[in-house]
Amino acid sequence: MKKHKWNGYLIAGVIITTIIVLWILIGRFYTPYPPTKMSAAKLQGPSLAHLFGTDKFGRDIFSRVMQGSGTTLFIAALTIVIGAGIGTIVGAMTGYFGGIVDEVLMRLNDALTAFPSILLALVIISILGPGKYNVIIALGIVFIPSYARMMRTAFASQREVNYIISARLMGASSPRILMMHMLPNTMHVLLPALTIGFNNAVLAEASMSFLGIGVTPPDVSMGYMLSEAQGMFRSAPWYALSVGGVIALLVFGISLIGEGMQKMNKEVD
Amino acid sequence: MKYVVRRILALIITMIMVSFLAFAAFHIISGDPARAILGMNATEKQLAILRQEMGLDKPFLVQYINWLFGFFTGNLGVSYSYRQPVAALIMPKLKVTLLMVLISFVIIIICSLPLGLRAAQKSGGRLDWLRTTIVQLCMAVPAFFLSILVSYIFGIIFKFFTPGDFPKIEKDLAGAVRYLFFAAVCIAIPRIAMAVRMLKSTIIEEMEKDYVRTAISRGNDRAEVLKKHVLKNSLVPTITFLGQTMAEIVGGSIVVEQVFGVPGMGRFLVASISNRDYPVVEALVVILAFWVILSGTLADLINQKIDPRLKLGGRA
Repeated sequence: MKKHKWNGYLIAGVIITTIIVLWILIGRFYTPYPPTKMSAAKLQGPSLAHLFGTDKFGRDIFSRVMQGSGTTLFIAALTIVIGAGIGTIVGAMTGYFGGIVDEVLMRLNDALTAFPSILLALVIISILGPGKYNVIIALGIVFIPSYARMMRTAFASQREVNYIISARLMGASSPRILMMHMLPNTMHVLLPALTIGFNNAVLAEASMSFLGIGVTPPDVSMGYMLSEAQGMFRSAPWYALSVGGVIALLVFGISLIGEGMQKMNKEVD
Repeated sequence: MKYVVRRILALIITMIMVSFLAFAAFHIISGDPARAILGMNATEKQLAILRQEMGLDKPFLVQYINWLFGFFTGNLGVSYSYRQPVAALIMPKLKVTLLMVLISFVIIIICSLPLGLRAAQKSGGRLDWLRTTIVQLCMAVPAFFLSILVSYIFGIIFKFFTPGDFPKIEKDLAGAVRYLFFAAVCIAIPRIAMAVRMLKSTIIEEMEKDYVRTAISRGNDRAEVLKKHVLKNSLVPTITFLGQTMAEIVGGSIVVEQVFGVPGMGRFLVASISNRDYPVVEALVVILAFWVILSGTLADLINQKIDPRLKLGGRA
């Protein structure tokens, strides 16, 4: 294996993402002001005491964003765990074993991908009702088909490769082959796809909560705050700008990581 | 020809599956439509009469076939909350969304082709990183955040349009187009960034192929080779991408309509979900899904027309 060399995109992406994620994680335990209490004068512009200003109830926006972003991060992370996890299992099964199971699951996959992703999430939410955990379930289901299709190709392409045939001849069991030999060799496809999926999950959660069919109070997420901010855009434009800015920066950082990983793969090839 | 027939057959099967899934899902969750329409005070007898009128006493499969038949003949049922035929409610909204999506699609094509070509030609240059960064940044900004900014800057500061006051298409087409243009731009920007990225990598991949190297080493002009051979071979992935774009921008329009106050399908869908108006949601979901399937099939058929090699492999 050739040495992986870090490139500029990857470094910049990791730095940006680490700073934002750390900032959000700290927000779980500590915020400069209580995010739900009125702690200062209303509708103040950004200042040293209130970096992002205050909203029309006098709440500190910096603290609110710090804490609310955590919900979005949590939803996106769990969504990816569900989507990529089940997707990988389905992809491995269908790609490795093929046959009738493959046919049926892939046709079902086709039917599911016919719904635009946000639409499918909306339909599931209209069945389950809004709320943090229902958003995770809805988005998780939405993300399964694309991962399943991708991982199916990745697994199927290795089915007749020499080292897999050798492993089979040596008597390795199917689970062992799938886990120990094939899975590590799909990482160059899976890891960049995880970054793209994570970003899509962040944006999808934000859109849904923005539309009022995502998280419900007392949970606050990025999309929820943006819909709040839209209402006070004329009096407190800094609210929308700071929430939007944090989302954009987070997504930007992670997509730089994805871009960097793809570039790295190309150089190794 | 055989390919076309097979593709259309697959299209019909997928449509039936999708509509069946949607119908079954809403059948299960919507409970008793008769009670939803008549309210809690209705007597058993009234309910029974209405159920019979609506065909709800028939077996599930018969109901599905009736519904599907109604769908294609423009009879989409009656809305719970408006007590009006769904088709009449949807039609004006469909027009608005369609117009917006079309404007957006035109913007995407006009902007992304030259930009993508340029990005590919200048790849590896000094400003390559800057271009990549701008593309990533455009993809990172959420469409609705962009919409808030655009509607504030162009609607409230520059007064190019009045947010929330959408002119009727029949009365003031120019005004409606001007209003929708800004919403369409917000839908288009992330998609343009994706298109530029896709075009760049496709063209670069094609440029590294042997036939291109041969053509250039024979003394052909680089730009000519790009125009005559590489672009032609990049056409297939581009058309597939445009098909996906056609599908995606309809999904993207749901959020953007909400911010701009465009009285389109997406806004109606969100409102109907909140009102639990299932006949409307069901009809809109199936229309949107058909739209997605149709754009995918259309892209495949066009691809097969321009690249006969695909006939053998089936899928593009």
